[in-house]
Amino acid sequence: MAHPATTISSVKLAWALSWTAFWTGFPFKAIVVVLLLAAHMPPWEGAGLIVLFVLSAPIDVWALGLAARTFFLERMGVAVNGPVGVNLWWQGTALGAVTLGVAYYAVGAVAVLCKQAAAATLDAVSQFLPIPVAERITIELMMWATPASIVAIVFLLIWLKLFGWRIKWVAVALGQTSSGDLQARVREWDSWRVPADSILMLLSFTAVAVLLTVTFWVLLPVTTTHRHPDYPPPPTVVVKKQVKPEELLKQTDAALVKANAVLAVLEQEQVKGTQKAKAKPASQGK
Amino acid sequence: MNPLLQQVYDFVDERIDLKTLEAKMMKEPIKGGSRWAYVFGSVLLFIFIMQAVTGVLLMFYYIPSADHAYDSTQFIIHEVDYGWFILSYHFWGSSAMVVMVFAHMSQVFLWGAYKSPREIIWLVGLALFGIVMAFGFTGYLLPWDQRAYWATVVGVEIMDKTPLVGDFMARFLKGGPTPGQMTLSRFFVIHVMVLPGALMGLAGLHLFLFRSAGPAGPFRGSPEELKAKTDFFFPRQVWKDIVAMAAVFLTISALAIFEPVVLLEQAKPDPGDYAPEPEWYFLFLFQLLRWKLFAGEFGQFLGATAIPAAFMLLLAALPFFDRSPERNIFKRPIALLSWTAVMTAILVLTVSAIINRDFLH
Repeated sequence: MAHPATTISSVKLAWALSWTAFWTGFPFKAIVVVLLLAAHMPPWEGAGLIVLFVLSAPIDVWALGLAARTFFLERMGVAVNGPVGVNLWWQGTALGAVTLGVAYYAVGAVAVLCKQAAAATLDAVSQFLPIPVAERITIELMMWATPASIVAIVFLLIWLKLFGWRIKWVAVALGQTSSGDLQARVREWDSWRVPADSILMLLSFTAVAVLLTVTFWVLLPVTTTHRHPDYPPPPTVVVKKQVKPEELLKQTDAALVKANAVLAVLEQEQVKGTQKAKAKPASQGK
Repeated sequence: MNPLLQQVYDFVDERIDLKTLEAKMMKEPIKGGSRWAYVFGSVLLFIFIMQAVTGVLLMFYYIPSADHAYDSTQFIIHEVDYGWFILSYHFWGSSAMVVMVFAHMSQVFLWGAYKSPREIIWLVGLALFGIVMAFGFTGYLLPWDQRAYWATVVGVEIMDKTPLVGDFMARFLKGGPTPGQMTLSRFFVIHVMVLPGALMGLAGLHLFLFRSAGPAGPFRGSPEELKAKTDFFFPRQVWKDIVAMAAVFLTISALAIFEPVVLLEQAKPDPGDYAPEPEWYFLFLFQLLRWKLFAGEFGQFLGATAIPAAFMLLLAALPFFDRSPERNIFKRPIALLSWTAVMTAILVLTVSAIINRDFLH
């Protein structure tokens, strides 16, 4: 008998898993993005991008694992054991990097070629049938965006096909057919996911939510960073130290006492120096 | 439950029959089980609540007068602690509401959930769609900068082209020959009083009708399969709704921080260098009106009023002429093709409008 995972289309399987995993991981990545933005670290460049990538990897591993286990158990009655999230993540990412790289150049090339062809065609048509600007923009857009979108969709399907093929391989290698009916399987899966101490879970969630909220408001600038030209930031006022006469008098007295002491020391040194100078010629004469 | 909490629960239960309410709210059976596709309604409610909260906070500082609207909005942005974020959240929240309304209507349309016995829910939903668009239109004027002023001028001019009621509507909204204090006052009152009241009433009716008819459920699967997968609203659907709300909240927050509201010059009757343009969700219609086909008095009426009105009427009549019980979208090719065509047209025309804007500049 064929393994249940092999009976479904690779594209459908990969779509179901990656779509679910994307939305499962999305809120967590969105938290990271919002905190980075609040802290003035753009998540699309530099340190922000690195932080986002580093934190996205474990989120994706977890989300893919969760989506795959749920899908196989609930839809196919297959319990998948082992590091299914990691397995699927690295294979999906590797395939995605290659497909996306090729797709980037292919879609770009098709778009450029089609833009040129569309412009030339419409220029030729305009010779005997003038085309107004608004209509021309839409026709031109349709003429290059349609083939470019088709090429992009083809590459998406290629990635889904390849990823689906790897998912099936993982399911066959790590999966075991479950004997229970659907309700029993759902209950089994729930018992794995839902912690025994729900109050503790609720408290932990609340604590994390409070911590994230406080962090957000602490990081968020109080006033706008995108000021209107007519509303320049207020000039930085250098706060002058307030003069307190009593303290000033005390400080002056202290400074005078100190100066007197220094003067006294200097005078003593001068006296000693004069005495030595007087004594020297006498000793030299001996 | 904690004994103290149990006492409080029992106290309230004795007085308002909390158990029945809880059973009605949380133990609503969902045919075929919970789904991510069902989150849009709850998310819309959440966005509306957030818009109400941020709107009230903005009203603490906003002055709805032609002399002070612009300065008070600038004060909110530049002087009030976190005012820029609250205003930007409110601004992006309105866009999110439009996106979610489109998503919700698309889901209902594709799932065939407008069909009998849910025709009235669909009609009330269409009215709510109109209210959401009106929220966007009236709120756009309030900052009283050039963008706000000229978008309103264009919008009211379009409205003016409606036969019979157009002239009255335009005069009623403007309150004078040109937009001014009266326009701002009327838009403000409609935005903060009339529309929220209408939305709350209609949303309540929408929910009541939805609960009476029950969820339509998935369009595939035998009755036995659907029964086997039937689940209560709590906890699975509640959890999905909460996750979706969090995702929407975070997306709006990210947009508010990334692209905060920056006003143009104060509104004046001379557009100067500014090329008037409506909010992004009206751009497709704006671009359509640039076509030669829609030039001239009749063309403008056709593009700005007749076609959108005919489309809305078609949507309203949909459950009454599409009486086939088939709900599977893959077995309703006309519905699938129509939805794809409308969505593609909106997308293409919106992108065209953006390219056209760059072309004009």
